[in-house]
Amino acid sequence: MKCLQAEEHFSAHFEDTLDYQTLQRFEEHLAACEACQQEYTRFQESVKAVRQLPQIEPSPDFMPTLLQRLAEEQREIGGVSEIIGTSWKRLQDVFRRPRWAFSGIVALLLIAVVGGYLYQDGFLSDRDAQPTVVITPASEESQVGPSPVELPVDVRRSVPDVNRFLPRGVTSTSQQPMQRHYILKQVSYTNASTRGGL
Amino acid sequence: MRDLDDELMERYRAGDENAFTLLVRRHQQPLVNFIARFINDRDGAEDLAQETFIRIFKASRRYKPGRAQFKTWMYHIATNLCKNELRNRGRRDRYRVDNVVDGDGDGGDSEQIDLIESAPADVAFQPEVALERKELHDAIQTAIAELPEQYRVPLVLRDLQGLSYDEISEVLELRSGTTKSRINRARLMLKDKLQSFVSCS
Ligand SMILES: [Zn+2]
Repeated sequence: MKCLQAEEHFSAHFEDTLDYQTLQRFEEHLAACEACQQEYTRFQESVKAVRQLPQIEPSPDFMPTLLQRLAEEQREIGGVSEIIGTSWKRLQDVFRRPRWAFSGIVALLLIAVVGGYLYQDGFLSDRDAQPTVVITPASEESQVGPSPVELPVDVRRSVPDVNRFLPRGVTSTSQQPMQRHYILKQVSYTNASTRGGL
Repeated sequence: MRDLDDELMERYRAGDENAFTLLVRRHQQPLVNFIARFINDRDGAEDLAQETFIRIFKASRRYKPGRAQFKTWMYHIATNLCKNELRNRGRRDRYRVDNVVDGDGDGGDSEQIDLIESAPADVAFQPEVALERKELHDAIQTAIAELPEQYRVPLVLRDLQGLSYDEISEVLELRSGTTKSRINRARLMLKDKLQSFVSCS
């Protein structure tokens, strides 16, 4: 084993993960090479020193600020879902009427309207999986009760609830408009994860 | 046994708001430490850690328990945010250099990490020991900050965050051989940078 090779095994030896043969050759080299002995000692000291760095603690503001920022996010999403919410209600009303009141054409129109809202707001377009809005046009015999309409999970869950992330006792109306400081808002997770290695 | 993070994510998705707060509480400290060590900026770290949690909150529907650990997913998101932040700062700095008018430096640049108050309590009555220790910590932090990013990140994840090699490979989407050699390389570089601080008795 040469010095450069020995150096490559410093971490594995330090963490005790060398296989038997490599361990033998590594220790043989070290026993015979004073330079590597010294370097390895310094290596160990340095790793230990790094590991002893103190842990940095979040400030007491961390959680309150995060909850505020999340409430702000919720409000943003809430604006869109209100529109979706009313469309959804209208849709349900239509399907509760007698059979002649709705047809495939009505359903298709509504798909277009809902889809338009969603798309316009960029609500769907940045999701990696497009949620589906499936509306089965009711046939003559299956029109009792609300029709099977499957809305995306987004819509079902996105009832505007701005207080959701506020600390107990704080309501959104008592809250001051907060400053926006999203440094990297425009970079989406999916974008950021398409990468060519480090 | 079932992973607690997975359970919290599932509970949160089922409408239990408290579950998300619990998740944050479990991970905020290591996350802030990781980001602060990565970008060498304590104030900026809080902001980016919050941003990481917001991303997680927004993507909670996409989270598939068991496919990846919550922890590695979190570090993956944070790493990408940090890289972008550093890239943007680099761009801003270059811009600032081009526009030399900037005099009083109020550009909102946050101070570098100052660890004097986080020195362990046992050295509080020995100012010179505390100072020595602080000097060493500063030197280590500076040395880490000087490492090229592809060596710095795995090193911080390993030696400061205590992740396993497999977890680091997952976070950084690297083959395990690459992870190992980068961490070893990073430690060798640090050893040389810290030569004057680390005694060789
Ligand atoms: Zn040698």
